[in-house]
Amino acid sequence: MTPIQPPRTKAAGAKIVRYNGVVKRYGDFTALDGVTLEVHAGEVVCLIGPSGSGKSTLLRCTNGLESLDGGDIEFEGARLARDERGLRVMRQRMGMVFQSFELFPHLTARQNVAEGPRTVLGMTAVEANRRANALLDKVGLADKGDSYPSALSGGQQQRVAIARALAMNPDVMLFDEPTSALDPETIGEVLGVMKKLADEGMTMVVVTHEMSFARRVGDWVAVFDAGRVVEQGPPAQIFDAPATERTRDFLSHLGWSG
Amino acid sequence: MTLDWAVVWQHRDALVAGARTTVLLAVATMAIALPCGAIVAVLRLYAGEPVRTLATAYVEFFRNLPLILVVYWAFYVLPILTGLGLSPFATGLAALALNVTAYNAETFRAGINSIRRGQTEAAMALGMSRVQALRRIVIPQALRRILPVLASTWVSLFKDTSLVSVIAVTELAYVSMQIRAQTFRVLEMLTAMAVIYWFLGYPQAKLVDWIQRRYAVTE
Amino acid sequence: MDFDFAVIADHAHFLAYGVGVTLALSALSGLTSLVTGFVVALLRLYGPRWLRPAVILYIDSMRAIPVLVVLVWAFFALPIVTGLTMPPFAAALIGLTIHLAAYAAEIVRAGIESVRPGQTRAALALGMSRQQILRRIILPQAIVRMLPALGSLLSITIKDTAIASVIAVPELMRQSETVAGQSFQPIEVYTFAMLVYFLLLFPVTRGVDLFYRRVAHLGRS
Repeated sequence: MTPIQPPRTKAAGAKIVRYNGVVKRYGDFTALDGVTLEVHAGEVVCLIGPSGSGKSTLLRCTNGLESLDGGDIEFEGARLARDERGLRVMRQRMGMVFQSFELFPHLTARQNVAEGPRTVLGMTAVEANRRANALLDKVGLADKGDSYPSALSGGQQQRVAIARALAMNPDVMLFDEPTSALDPETIGEVLGVMKKLADEGMTMVVVTHEMSFARRVGDWVAVFDAGRVVEQGPPAQIFDAPATERTRDFLSHLGWSG
Repeated sequence: MTLDWAVVWQHRDALVAGARTTVLLAVATMAIALPCGAIVAVLRLYAGEPVRTLATAYVEFFRNLPLILVVYWAFYVLPILTGLGLSPFATGLAALALNVTAYNAETFRAGINSIRRGQTEAAMALGMSRVQALRRIVIPQALRRILPVLASTWVSLFKDTSLVSVIAVTELAYVSMQIRAQTFRVLEMLTAMAVIYWFLGYPQAKLVDWIQRRYAVTE
Repeated sequence: MDFDFAVIADHAHFLAYGVGVTLALSALSGLTSLVTGFVVALLRLYGPRWLRPAVILYIDSMRAIPVLVVLVWAFFALPIVTGLTMPPFAAALIGLTIHLAAYAAEIVRAGIESVRPGQTRAALALGMSRQQILRRIILPQAIVRMLPALGSLLSITIKDTAIASVIAVPELMRQSETVAGQSFQPIEVYTFAMLVYFLLLFPVTRGVDLFYRRVAHLGRS
């Protein structure tokens, strides 16, 4: 039975990212086997699925950290650049948040957030710091500006990492399992910041295992398995009435019971 | 067996001069080997072929040779290669510099490689170029790991300067052994030589310990 | 500028003898310094309190004094002190052992100290004695962890045997000097010596690398 395609609430927005038959191989292993997906302006698209199904790989292809072996990716209407120069320009319009935070340990929280604007956008220290302070305040860490990453908890570090990505004023935020490396107590504070961003209308692509987040905050969910999107749709459909066997398997495996 | 320790005091000027030459050799060698080692490391990491392989070959070659052999070889080959008549000091310096550059190159390379790939990726995700990422993110962190190893290399270098005595460079070891030959005071001079090296080297070894404690990296 | 490498062939036996002495001296001093270093490390870690400063002084002194100085002292000065004459090979063996054992001791100590304290606690909880713990739990892991550094020390040992040429030990360096002096072809002879040393040392470092990679998991806790 072919699933009825429910209306996509934010489809009217511009297509920020388009994945067309994206293929990525590592030697003999095919990580992405023809992924087609769209991300519209203001949407929160959640990528879920078992480990190794290609979700993170797709994200890393989006900002050119990995190269494609087939298909293409469009960003804001233009094909993803192939050369470093072009990629660099596109990356400035994308923000990425890593599972391992990857804060720069030799810089304070404020310096971490200000690093992009200073080095890449050429802002003065004063301007960059002003922006950094505003963003640290936004993620609830106004008083931690002078702290080094080693003095911060995992949740705090990840929030700084989000602020750092936001400092570049990106058009889309890419989250690669942002809470997977966090203690359960701190997951909430990070998801809270992400929800706030979503409410403000930020376009987000989120690889996550936090199903309740995907259910509540996501506008569109794509289920991955073995390098393919086996099902995609609004959260209500995916979680409450999954159309494919694979999705049902995956969700039950996680103990998801709505 | 009568010992005459006064001999040491009588020749203190020569010994001090020898010690000074030792220090000068070590400092001059590092002054050359630090920038050269950095260059070779960068070539190994980022250059294209065949430069990369040549740089690796250079490093592997000099790390797998006894320094004393390099000193002798330099003494006989360098005049022919360069066409210049180099002084023993210059020859010794060249041999030491070739050797320490190779070790430094390995130290720099390992230090840079020890920084997680994720750091470079995070920097590039912000829109930095590879060069910017290297300069602002990787190298500042790598320096912390590199410094203790460089300190250790320095201490080894200081001791290795004694090897250029075989080509009659008038550093501490050569001077000491010359005095021994002249005065026949074998035990006194050789012991004095060991003691002087001890006084010069011991504080340096302790300083290295301090540096390694202070810059200890815990993941 | 032409080279005549026939000089190598002419003195093949002589040079081969040198290689043999190099190998023998390397192997022997490697062994003696390892054993001595092991004992010194254990003394430092588990021996009587009053001995510790002396051991530390010995180890740090060897970090300050060049090998050349130790070898020369062992050959020329030690006989004066002990009243015994020694052949060069023996003096070299003693000198190298004294110098290298200090480094070996540090490697052993670092290896032992790097084994997590939780391992000792777990073994104690099982009712093992301190001695048993050291022998059956700590040392096996520690030895695996020491391998890379010990391999590097072996490489240094082989290189240091070349310095024994200064006290007339007929190892490869010394033999090369002799041939170079007699034949007036230093470039060919020393280039040959370089090749031999490289072929000797390169596999040692690579071999230790590979061996370590195979057994590394045994030392991880």
